[in-house]
Amino acid sequence: MKGNLNLIIEESRTLKAIARNWAFCFLIFFIVIFSFTGKGFLSIVNFQNIIHLSVIAIFMAAAETFVIITGGIDLSVGFVMGLSSVTAGKIIQILFAAGNLSVGAILLTGSVIALVVSLIPGLISGIMIARFKVPPFIATLGMWGITNGIALKICKGFPVASLPDELTKIGNGYTIYYKEGSGISWFSLPAGIANDQIREYLRLIPISFILLFIVIFILRHILNNTTFGQHTYAIGGNEDAAIRSGINVQKHLIKIYMLSSFIAGMAGVFNVFQTGIGNFTTFGAMYELFAVAAVVIGGASLLGGKGRLLASVVGVLLIAVLENGLLISGVEPFYRYIAVGLLLILAIVIDQLFPDLF
Amino acid sequence: MQSLMTQKNKDLLLRIGKQWAVIFFVAELIFFGLTAKGFFTVNTFQIVLFFGTAIMLMAVGELFVIITGGIDLSVGYVMGLSSIVSTKLIVAFAGSGLPELGAILLGILITLVLGLIPGMINGLLISRLNVPPFIATFSMLGISHGVSELLITEGAAKNLPHMANVIGNGHFLYFAQESGFSFFVRPEVARGVKVFELLPNVVVMTFILVAIFAFVLKRTVFGVHTYAIGGNEDSAVRSGINVKNHIMKIYMLSSFLAASAGVIYMLKYVTGKADAGASLLLDSIAAVVIGGASLSGGSGTVWKAILGAVIIAVLETGLRILGIPTFDKYIMVGVILIFAVLIDQVFPETTYKDKE
Amino acid sequence: MRKGLILVMVLLMAFSMSAQLFAGGQQEAADDEITMLFMPGVADPFYYVMEKGIVAKGEELGVNIIVAEFPKAWGPEVQVPILEATVAQGGIDMILIAPTAIDALISPLKKLYDQGIEIITVDTYLGDGDYSKDSDYSFPLSYIGSDNEKGGREMAAHLCEMIGGEGKVYINSTNPDVSSVMGRVKGFKEGIEAFPEVELVGVDYNMDVQQKATDQTLAALQKDPDIAGIFGTNLYSSQGAYQAVVNAGLVGAVKIATWDASVDIINALKKGQIDLVLAQKPFEIGSLAVEWGYKFFTEGTEIPAKVIPGFEFFDSENVNDPDMEQFIYK
Repeated sequence: MKGNLNLIIEESRTLKAIARNWAFCFLIFFIVIFSFTGKGFLSIVNFQNIIHLSVIAIFMAAAETFVIITGGIDLSVGFVMGLSSVTAGKIIQILFAAGNLSVGAILLTGSVIALVVSLIPGLISGIMIARFKVPPFIATLGMWGITNGIALKICKGFPVASLPDELTKIGNGYTIYYKEGSGISWFSLPAGIANDQIREYLRLIPISFILLFIVIFILRHILNNTTFGQHTYAIGGNEDAAIRSGINVQKHLIKIYMLSSFIAGMAGVFNVFQTGIGNFTTFGAMYELFAVAAVVIGGASLLGGKGRLLASVVGVLLIAVLENGLLISGVEPFYRYIAVGLLLILAIVIDQLFPDLF
Repeated sequence: MQSLMTQKNKDLLLRIGKQWAVIFFVAELIFFGLTAKGFFTVNTFQIVLFFGTAIMLMAVGELFVIITGGIDLSVGYVMGLSSIVSTKLIVAFAGSGLPELGAILLGILITLVLGLIPGMINGLLISRLNVPPFIATFSMLGISHGVSELLITEGAAKNLPHMANVIGNGHFLYFAQESGFSFFVRPEVARGVKVFELLPNVVVMTFILVAIFAFVLKRTVFGVHTYAIGGNEDSAVRSGINVKNHIMKIYMLSSFLAASAGVIYMLKYVTGKADAGASLLLDSIAAVVIGGASLSGGSGTVWKAILGAVIIAVLETGLRILGIPTFDKYIMVGVILIFAVLIDQVFPETTYKDKE
Repeated sequence: MRKGLILVMVLLMAFSMSAQLFAGGQQEAADDEITMLFMPGVADPFYYVMEKGIVAKGEELGVNIIVAEFPKAWGPEVQVPILEATVAQGGIDMILIAPTAIDALISPLKKLYDQGIEIITVDTYLGDGDYSKDSDYSFPLSYIGSDNEKGGREMAAHLCEMIGGEGKVYINSTNPDVSSVMGRVKGFKEGIEAFPEVELVGVDYNMDVQQKATDQTLAALQKDPDIAGIFGTNLYSSQGAYQAVVNAGLVGAVKIATWDASVDIINALKKGQIDLVLAQKPFEIGSLAVEWGYKFFTEGTEIPAKVIPGFEFFDSENVNDPDMEQFIYK
């Protein structure tokens, strides 16, 4: 049966494209289904919300994509994000309370320091993995514990709050506010709007989209069009061959884990802007595992050498649409854990059935 | 630098390297003995073991999986699921008129049998469909989490017969000055009279399970095959081992031990909770790795995994007595974990010697 | 290597046995002042304020107070190990504990009670909280704390009035496993039954992840864009719900009610992010517990089996009122 199916698919280009992009097809399929079952699912506003709330997960999946292509895994991304979030939060809190600086300078300082801090876990795991041949699973699991502990120490187990309001205004702002009759207003609601008029405004293009598109564009460019990207695939495909062809594999791996950690740090900083407080990561969140799941659903192999950035993004969106659609359709919220599990198994089974397509 | 080292020094270093976990354990005991008030008491050691039961059981399950070169991420939530299932079953049995003890035993038995299912599915996916263990067991993590939460949305897993709490917190042996030794039942003495309580029931249960699986790994064909698969899967296949079946059994075993950890949780805390074991995944894998097993498979022993688990449990209890927030525990477990692997790299012989 | 390990274990056991005998002798001798242990339920501002109440009263009365580590998560599997490890130090006369489960704490506390330590439960209770009748769990001297279901009912009444007695309300809660939070939800559901025009459109559980709370609330608002009131059962729920309301551009149009008046929540109330806050009285609970315990030891006073201080409600009108200042958890 397997042979037959492969043969049929070999012959048809369309089918081949579908099998290769099954996650994307599933995404479309779910959107159609939920449009019928969920009241208010099919609307620009809802799709904006889904993407806006997936920004962190997309960053995580992007980070994980690089690592997984080299045949590694980074389990620490979730807690690195927490560390970066509380670091940024704490610094902003202290500076804001001191009150000497302008809000813009405070936010910038907090974000930059958090981003720099977030390079450290990646540097350490990278050195351990590249120089000392510690398995990536263990090195990053160790970092998982360490970053979690440090984040909790910084915030003493509480979210870091009492931060400036500008944070959420930026993080949750929209580029365009539109109301029929009164025209477009850029970046904020027109002044003096009464509470009952708020519902009448249509919001378009969250500011977070701009950040998301820039980051994904840059990362995709790095992965697809630079030697850095080529080397990443080369290492994942065959490390020995990569070494023989003169790639400095050790150095490259360290860079990869630093990059992954840095992207997770960016997610953490964004988290502060989105929620207005510095959050530590709870055990129940399991960002790292969902990121790996998204990347695998996007067609990457944990053995390395395979994976596409945009496919990983589709993987994230597939999970997000599924969750959102189930919620809106009024399905018991806990089915989504089961749904994600099944989806993941499906991804692998499809991969097993058509191994040559990718 | 190598040349400066005499053979004797090298041997000594190797020996230290090989035994570093034991040395670390002793150092840990000495440190807490000196700094923590009331640390060196039988009571404290029993507390360590009492709270270490879940890590120990899950570490043994994880050890079997890791020896074959796999990993099982689902153990924490399988434990949670089985704590909920056992609670619901026992409450239902007790409600249908069975005597308390009968309901508890029957509920535990059925839960342990059901506990094989997640492992069976994992095993099928991994051995028949070639799904990587990481993905298969992560899916199972999600599925068991979802099922657990669904089970408790209709009503929390609670209201167990009081006897469950008595068993879970009871001891095997009691000694009081006036009444002498007694088994299982706390002697009736005036309040405030000192009663020595020895061997908590759940610790005894855990040790029995651990001893059985230590025997299985060390002395049976099953154990030999487990090492063989982890050492080199191809040659295991060539030498006629039914690798697919074996892998499936291994994941069922791991899931069974996670389910027993769930049952013990139920006895100790008389509730079922979905995230009962969520934070234990790091601990159980760390215990196995601290115990010298390699994630690429083929090495590790039950006793060393238990030592790894005890090191973590002592660390946790010691820090608590000192009043240091357990945030530091995560950092230290992470550091020890990395340290364990680094030592493994510096003294590579250690792992080979242990395989004998 | 195993022989060596067993030898070490045996030696340590033998050593510790002898050490225990010495320790036992010393404890009794140095025990002339009253020592109370405070075992909080979880690390949050509510219990920090309770700790302050306990410590302040302890200083006033000359009672030695030990505060156990604040558990980082709610649940017996986190609390019991801390309790046992802390009690292992010895010399404790009374435990003021917020049990994190109504049943799981019975045996561990009974064991300590049998050793001669007195127990008072604060904020949460064992069994059904009624220690006056004879039962497996009637050994604590008293329960001093709030009634979550009653709070939920009062909260519902306040929120329903705030939205004008009609419209849709939505609950974002943390975890169906936590009894106190479920009590709030249950009470709230009962409370809105008194308002026939108010409809409850859903309850979601965010498992203490704020981002989840935002996702869920946004989906709820997408499904029912005319939701008028949201009840977030704790900080995570209400902050997450607020983010969703901001995101949906409905600030001001949707009223958010929450539990526990921490400084952060009060700040949010002052900024208009949240509209209604229920404050329990942790300081009072803490100091009452110490006072009753002290009287029990010194004068042999009989403690009432149940002491329940009420609630206070903060809204935008009274939040700057100096009289209300004392109820903020600082």
